[in-house]
Amino acid sequence: MSQPLLEVRNLRTYLNSGGRTVKAVDDVSFSIPKGETFCLVGESGSGKSISALSVIRLLPQGIASHPGGEILFNGQDILKLPEDALRGIRGSQIAMIFQEPMTSLNPVFSVGEQITEALQLHHPTMSDEEALERALLALEQVQIPKARERFRDYPHQLSGGQRQRVMIAMALACEPDLLIADEPTTALDVTVQAEILRLLRQLQDDTGMSTLFITHDFGVVAQMAQQVGVMQQGKLVEVGSTAQVLRHPQHAYTQQLLAAVPENLVRNPGGRNPSPALPLSGKGARGDGTSSYSSPDKGRLGGVSSPALLSIRNLNVWFPIKKGLLRRTVDHVRAVDDVSLDIPKGQIVALVGESGCGKTTLGRAVLQLEKPTSGSIQLHGQELTGLSARELRPLRPKMQIAFQDPQSSLNPRLLVETTLTEPLKAHGIGVNQEERIERAAQILDDMQLPRDALWRYPHEFSGGQRQRIGLARALVLNPEFIVCDEITSALDVSVQAEILQLLLKIRDEHNLTLLFITHNIGVVEYLSDQTMVMYKGKIVERGATAEVCGNPQEDYTQKLLSAVPRLLFN
Amino acid sequence: MTDMTAHTVSRETFFRRVWRAIWPRIGVKLGFAWVGLLVFMGVFAPFLANSMPLLMSKGGHISAPVLEYLTVEDVFVLAVFALVVVLAWLRLSGGKRVLLFLAGTLVAAVLANLLVKPPAVKIYDDFRTPVYTEADWRMMPPVPYAPTDYLRDYPEHGLEQPLKATDGRFHLMGTEENGADVFSRMIHASRIALSIGLIATSISMVIGVVLGGLMGYFSGVVDMIGMRLVEIFEAIPTLFLLLTFVAFFGRSLYMMMIIIGVTSWSGYARYIRAEFLKLRKQEFVQAAVASGLPLSSILFRHMLPNGVAPLLVAASFGVASAILAEATLSFLGLGLVGEPSWGQMLDQAVKSSTFNWWMAAFPGGAIFFTVFAYNLIGEAFRDAIDPKLSRNAGVGS
Repeated sequence: MSQPLLEVRNLRTYLNSGGRTVKAVDDVSFSIPKGETFCLVGESGSGKSISALSVIRLLPQGIASHPGGEILFNGQDILKLPEDALRGIRGSQIAMIFQEPMTSLNPVFSVGEQITEALQLHHPTMSDEEALERALLALEQVQIPKARERFRDYPHQLSGGQRQRVMIAMALACEPDLLIADEPTTALDVTVQAEILRLLRQLQDDTGMSTLFITHDFGVVAQMAQQVGVMQQGKLVEVGSTAQVLRHPQHAYTQQLLAAVPENLVRNPGGRNPSPALPLSGKGARGDGTSSYSSPDKGRLGGVSSPALLSIRNLNVWFPIKKGLLRRTVDHVRAVDDVSLDIPKGQIVALVGESGCGKTTLGRAVLQLEKPTSGSIQLHGQELTGLSARELRPLRPKMQIAFQDPQSSLNPRLLVETTLTEPLKAHGIGVNQEERIERAAQILDDMQLPRDALWRYPHEFSGGQRQRIGLARALVLNPEFIVCDEITSALDVSVQAEILQLLLKIRDEHNLTLLFITHNIGVVEYLSDQTMVMYKGKIVERGATAEVCGNPQEDYTQKLLSAVPRLLFN
Repeated sequence: MTDMTAHTVSRETFFRRVWRAIWPRIGVKLGFAWVGLLVFMGVFAPFLANSMPLLMSKGGHISAPVLEYLTVEDVFVLAVFALVVVLAWLRLSGGKRVLLFLAGTLVAAVLANLLVKPPAVKIYDDFRTPVYTEADWRMMPPVPYAPTDYLRDYPEHGLEQPLKATDGRFHLMGTEENGADVFSRMIHASRIALSIGLIATSISMVIGVVLGGLMGYFSGVVDMIGMRLVEIFEAIPTLFLLLTFVAFFGRSLYMMMIIIGVTSWSGYARYIRAEFLKLRKQEFVQAAVASGLPLSSILFRHMLPNGVAPLLVAASFGVASAILAEATLSFLGLGLVGEPSWGQMLDQAVKSSTFNWWMAAFPGGAIFFTVFAYNLIGEAFRDAIDPKLSRNAGVGS
């Protein structure tokens, strides 16, 4: 404990491109004792990944420079080492795992070959048999079932979680002293994430290595780290023990970030929930926090009397699997499998599930963007399935959709003004263009965007602003019902909090009904009145959010909820 | 914080960004310079190389014989050029520009055919008789020889090396075997090279975009049939089809343009189909569908402008290959008869008994540089549009 394994002192990393210099890492100092985990946490662009890459000097040399600081690893300054000495350290003493399990493995080599290659690179004297044994051992260590059989598998034959396990096996095969994990679970489902995090903790106990863990998720921080550092715009604004930082954040930015975590958000639209919930005063805890949903007017929302705005009966959306020369349909992927549900007017219904469970397909099928295989969808009692595009057009303004990806959800070639007024024009709303522009401007006001945003192109806006414009486009036709498909998933937590609060506000102002599709349980608990849990194309559990999240009945829901990394610890 | 407004980002459209990325490249500058020179020569050919005076004054009467002898094609080309200049100068949206251009071209074609009546007979020797030479003053074109002026009034004519004529004539690039000025022929041939490249490519682009767009948007059965059609057209050897048509129906520039256009659209269709298949699932297109926008708007406003970028690349290479196809045909002796083209001049160079370097070097060089210029431009577009490379080229920043 006396001598830290890694000590970063006043590190500066500047990135130069096109004559501009960005201070990506600015005077950052931290240290990692042997056997401990240090978490760097921050929002996108805060410099946390750049800091990690600086530690093993993996940044492109022409662009990155280190004008100051030192990185002491086992007492030697990495910034001063020559390239070939570094190569001896990388992989064997400091190993790294990355975010994207799809692309960080080489697709043309089997996983076994990739591990043995890494081994023999660092231990040139190792025989083939020994390398093979060590590789197998590593695969078993990361708990890949039937490691010997999977040894000859190629990356595409493995699931995302298994690929990440292989990455970890590769990193650990050479028994490094320090593991750098750059958002290793961000691309994974929450249940898989829980398994990987458990594995990492267990491996750390077994091998006694230290970990530098990069993440944006405070829940993960709470589970993994002994020490945590909060980064903002290249600066380390707060460092301390995890319990200290999460419970009693000192810096304003840390407080702001923690307050924006959905578990800590205060749901108080129109004085509906008067109980003040301070960040991490114990109120955000599970079971306890859910009590805020059983406020008196819950009865109105969850009441039996509210008529269903949208009702779905026995909906199937199957995608054919075609094989052979004649492209015969041999089987179907049952993306949505015999789903029936009602969405009452004025409620926010959350549809929650892991990737590939069919929740997005269901959302699109509701809007007839995906043709259902069978079943019925009724809006105000009017059947939507089987209608032609022409017959659907007059119904379109009533139901809208907002999407996940801020990059692709707006047409990059059109002014925001065109994006917002074109649907109005198509439906003959507004006497002339001026009136339509005025309507669009009002919606932008609602979205808390400046009016001159009308005359800009989408690439001029940040991700959060683009999501607001996407919502504005959905709102401009004055719909009754909006499908929100993971609209906050690509956003930083503070921006997500703003969007969620905005969503509650416009729900009340416009008397909207929302189908909110997400994989984020925290968001569900904060936002929704009712929750439906979807698994393999079926809805496995449904009910009032407080019920489902507080007292899950089904095995899958229990597994899903227990996998969510919570801020609460001990 | 992260929600900072990007007010500093300049407001520019995608094409302007692409343009900014490719323009600094020296190859692009050279490519556009060469094509610009060809356009200038092609449009103003009758004023640059002609046997008749541009302006002359005789007995107080000023006349412009060049204008009197302008052909229908000359007038049409000039009118289209003027239209392009005016449209480039006006601030209009892309769609309006295209519509106005098409309408203007149609009007120009009709008017030129109705109104322009050049004299039926053109005897170039006459312009060197006292009727024209003994004027008060006159202004001749820079190259005072028409491309089909065989200098029959000179006792010695025929193959002459550049700058070797003895009787006061000046031939920068020499003369061909019939005595016509090679430089003049080069200038007039640039019009053919340009027009065949542009028109054949336009035809194939229109066919390719319409069919590829339908295939990509509707997919399913439409896509299946469309792709089979693409495969059929890809199997047709353009050159041999051209040879067959020339053998049966005689030689015509327009027929060549149409055949090259009709047979080479498959590449464009493939590009657009792939783009549309990708775009169809994009969220902004789905949002447009969900908003109940009409199909024409979804296709032409939301999908086409976002999918057209790869076509720019293909089109520049397509122009080059159309020019080569025409040159090949002319070189085989199946090109146009009356008018000069670069390929046909190369053919002349090969057919003469002795090797006359100026007959081969100038048209050969012109073909080479033109194809090279279009390839340079296409290459630059490809680099600028490729998202991976564009970041380095500074498009994104």
